[in-house]
Amino acid sequence: MLKKLLFQQQDKKQLFIAMIGAFLGITFLITSIHYLVKINKFGKGADILGPNTIIVQKKVGNSNTLGISKTDFTLKEIEKIKAEPFIKDAKPVISNNFDISLRTDDPMVPYFRTDVFVQTIDESFLDVDLKNWTWKEGDDFVPIIMPREFLVMLNTFMSAQGIPQVSDDLAKQIQFEFWLSNKDNSKKEDIKARIVGFTNSVSSLLVPKSFMEYGNKKFSDGKPQKITQIMISGEESEFGLVEQLLQKRGLETKNAQMVIGRLKSIVGTLFMVVLGVSIVAVFLSGLVLIQYMQLLISKNAYAVKTLLRIGYHPKDITRLFFLYFIKIFGIITVIGFVLFILLKFFIDKMFISGGLYIDTDITLISILALLIAYGLFAFSSFQTAKKGVFKKY
Amino acid sequence: MNIKLNKVLPHPLASIQHSEDSIWGNDVILKEGAKILLNASSGKGKSTFTTTVFGLRKDYEGNVFYDQKNIRDLNIDEWTLIRRKTLSVVFQDLQLFPELTVKENLLLKNNLSGDFSDEQLKEMLTQLGIPDKWEQQCGLLSMGQQQRVAIIRALIQPFKWLLMDEPFSHLDKKNTTIALDMIIKRCDELNAGFVLTTLGDHHGIEYDYELKL
Repeated sequence: MLKKLLFQQQDKKQLFIAMIGAFLGITFLITSIHYLVKINKFGKGADILGPNTIIVQKKVGNSNTLGISKTDFTLKEIEKIKAEPFIKDAKPVISNNFDISLRTDDPMVPYFRTDVFVQTIDESFLDVDLKNWTWKEGDDFVPIIMPREFLVMLNTFMSAQGIPQVSDDLAKQIQFEFWLSNKDNSKKEDIKARIVGFTNSVSSLLVPKSFMEYGNKKFSDGKPQKITQIMISGEESEFGLVEQLLQKRGLETKNAQMVIGRLKSIVGTLFMVVLGVSIVAVFLSGLVLIQYMQLLISKNAYAVKTLLRIGYHPKDITRLFFLYFIKIFGIITVIGFVLFILLKFFIDKMFISGGLYIDTDITLISILALLIAYGLFAFSSFQTAKKGVFKKY
Repeated sequence: MNIKLNKVLPHPLASIQHSEDSIWGNDVILKEGAKILLNASSGKGKSTFTTTVFGLRKDYEGNVFYDQKNIRDLNIDEWTLIRRKTLSVVFQDLQLFPELTVKENLLLKNNLSGDFSDEQLKEMLTQLGIPDKWEQQCGLLSMGQQQRVAIIRALIQPFKWLLMDEPFSHLDKKNTTIALDMIIKRCDELNAGFVLTTLGDHHGIEYDYELKL
């Protein structure tokens, strides 16, 4: 009866329009938050290097070959790059200044030996358990991070030898040995090594700083090592600016790294725009719903006043308006969520057909956003109902 | 519960000259269980009296007390309880819900106390000559029929005082008598008093005392 009295005689056109707006807003809100999270996560864990991290070097031109300009970085140049607002960090990549080769030292795999180029990057750029990324003289083995191309090359070699190829995990079990020497071979040393991770971003073997310092101190000819590469990490969604900086300063990097960074930036920016529009849409439609509630209470001013006069408590009437509107928003939220699941199904398919294998689990943060939107609406509708009804007392 | 008016003078009536025995500006006690007639011509403040005592308007000088409690100090919870259990009203403008049926109008009130069954409610309608209006939309009834519904609605709650603001203005003599009998019977059942405002007609009622405006 109370529902009939208060809610039956209403023009539902405005309510319906506000509901459509709110449900579209909710759908795009959770969709955009979900994909923003997924895109930011994209690529994480697949590489031992942190996200948005690239190694850059100066472009080699004729002037470098003729010795007019240099390809190494000064500390001042590194500091200038680091000072850019969209650069989180920039550190030099230290290379070996001694001869070093790597060979297999495992009965399970055939003998294989190659001269290698080892480098050290600052630990802050590595997405690796730092407890495993240490070495000191006398340790059982040197932890190494291997370029993935190296594993491909190793597997090609194994295949040619008629030996089964090795997976990432199996490769980490293989015993390797570094062979360190100085230029004239007067000093030599072999140290065992083991792979602890892989990277697509670096073309050399990465070793802990302590090992590099040990090798450079013991086997180098004493000349200071030049910094020809630096590692930089950019802010999320600002990879376009990093790319501009590289062009401005005549720097280059591995194209694949930039492509992923650029892709993440573009898609991330797009979803940020959608998120912004969705927040505005949810806010405006929420506002329209709240205004509709105010209008409904005003239209029912006589009924509300009379109910209060015949002995109904304002809290009873407030509860009726509150429940009516949170049910409406509940329906909007459920429909929005179902539409999000459908959209997600198609968007995930589009990503997969485009070669982007993103994790398809529903993100907790998008559910949280949904609950927050619902909570905020519930709070505002309760306050509006309370204010509207108590005013009639 | 005694209702005490302590020099009450509503602001809209402040400019009018009131007689010495008028309740306005004087100390008046409505004694518990008393049957009181409030007889006055138009514009003297009969409805103002009802709405002031019922706590709907606060634009007055002086104070109204329910026993020792100044009604200005009552909070929303207390007012709700009073309107459910202590004070019942037949408003001059009836204050029914025109879009609801007679049944719904009565049940909305009865649901708060649950004292009457549907059959009892229908019986009351029958007594007042509108047995067939149970499912009828209130807004479609004549004023006299609506007045009878409003009287029944006021009677079906527990109360100590029944305030009636010209409740028989649209009723014929026969229905007025039936309604009055029902009112007196109910008041006796509850040991309650009433204040009946009227435009001069005593309706043949036996009252304890009369108030002047």
